[in-house]
Amino acid sequence: MTPENLHHLQSLLVSRTGFLLAADRAHLAEHRLAPVARREGYAGVDALMDAVRAEPPAALAWSAMEAVLNPETWFRRDRAPFTTFASEVLPAIAGVRPEGRVRIWSAGCAAGQEAYSLAMPALEDQTNVEIVATDLSQRALEKARTGIFTQFEVQRGLSARRLLNWFDQSEDMWEAKPRLRSAITFSRANLLDEPPPGGRFDVIFCRYVLSDMAPERRARALDVLEQALADDGCLFLGLDETAGERPDSFRPVPGRPGVFVKSPAALRRAA
Amino acid sequence: MHPPVEARTCLIVDDSRIIRKVARRIVEELGFEVDEAGDGAEALAYCATAMPEVILLDWNMPVMDGLTFLRRLRSQPGGDQPKVLFCTIETEVDRIKEALDAGADEYVMKPFDGEILESKLAEAGVV
Repeated sequence: MTPENLHHLQSLLVSRTGFLLAADRAHLAEHRLAPVARREGYAGVDALMDAVRAEPPAALAWSAMEAVLNPETWFRRDRAPFTTFASEVLPAIAGVRPEGRVRIWSAGCAAGQEAYSLAMPALEDQTNVEIVATDLSQRALEKARTGIFTQFEVQRGLSARRLLNWFDQSEDMWEAKPRLRSAITFSRANLLDEPPPGGRFDVIFCRYVLSDMAPERRARALDVLEQALADDGCLFLGLDETAGERPDSFRPVPGRPGVFVKSPAALRRAA
Repeated sequence: MHPPVEARTCLIVDDSRIIRKVARRIVEELGFEVDEAGDGAEALAYCATAMPEVILLDWNMPVMDGLTFLRRLRSQPGGDQPKVLFCTIETEVDRIKEALDAGADEYVMKPFDGEILESKLAEAGVV
């Protein structure tokens, strides 16, 4: 990719998605853009990026950005946070909500593994949940909605029992059962805009999204998360992620890596 | 009296030397001491001497297949102790059910990589 095209891609990404594409990851970006160029009928990545630059950000630019974001994820990533969610957070919040209804947001859900991982224990415990899962990438959302995963994907984080209980085999793929799929609403949303509609969330999972963002964009995303989270709710970040840009918004829960609650300052703001 | 501290042990049962080698590298990295067996009968003889903590078990093998081995193991004194993970090219739902019902703790469909094996060992509660 020419330096001009790389620079354009970087500024598009950071302004539209907050994603910071480091120069040392340009190779990876180029590798991911190659199939987009082929699909859209361009001779190569530079020809694609020339076309993106020639027009204001439109469908083509978003296709390019989605391809670069394309995050890898798996079921129950890191395990411990999902155990905390299922055995501690979910029953505690369900116990204090009308009709035990718990609203959950999977923010930056990619191909949906996180949202499915939250839905399974909730349905197993017959907890009344509403799960909203959002991502920037239409392609990721399309895959998430089908609930169809490869043999490799279902073996990363899912036990054999859960696989049999919640997925149907179709040829060499595994498809989430209708009851599991219907527990989740997938929609496109940008973490730099407004939170999804329908009121505040009791639990937000936003894992390994913030760490890829430029610091000032991360601060904006944290503002959105603060606005979206109920005062007694829990925010789950990636294990090495912090709310460092907004110490007034969230504080970590001791002994529960990656789990945050609203800080006293945020609660005063809400009051 | 405290029992002596011993290295955690894993027995890899597969008739393919290549698969045994690949699996060995992964579980050794997780801190296990590894032994190998080429079929179920060999594995059963091994277990009669010392029960390993974990067994990675192929399904289709000469002499004695994995499922027969598992059923015999589970009926032996102390044979309920090892965590058994099937690692096989069998991917039919009925086969997975059969293995779990026979007492397998987890089920890995080949091909697998280190990430999958570690994830499955975690599901079985060994790492």
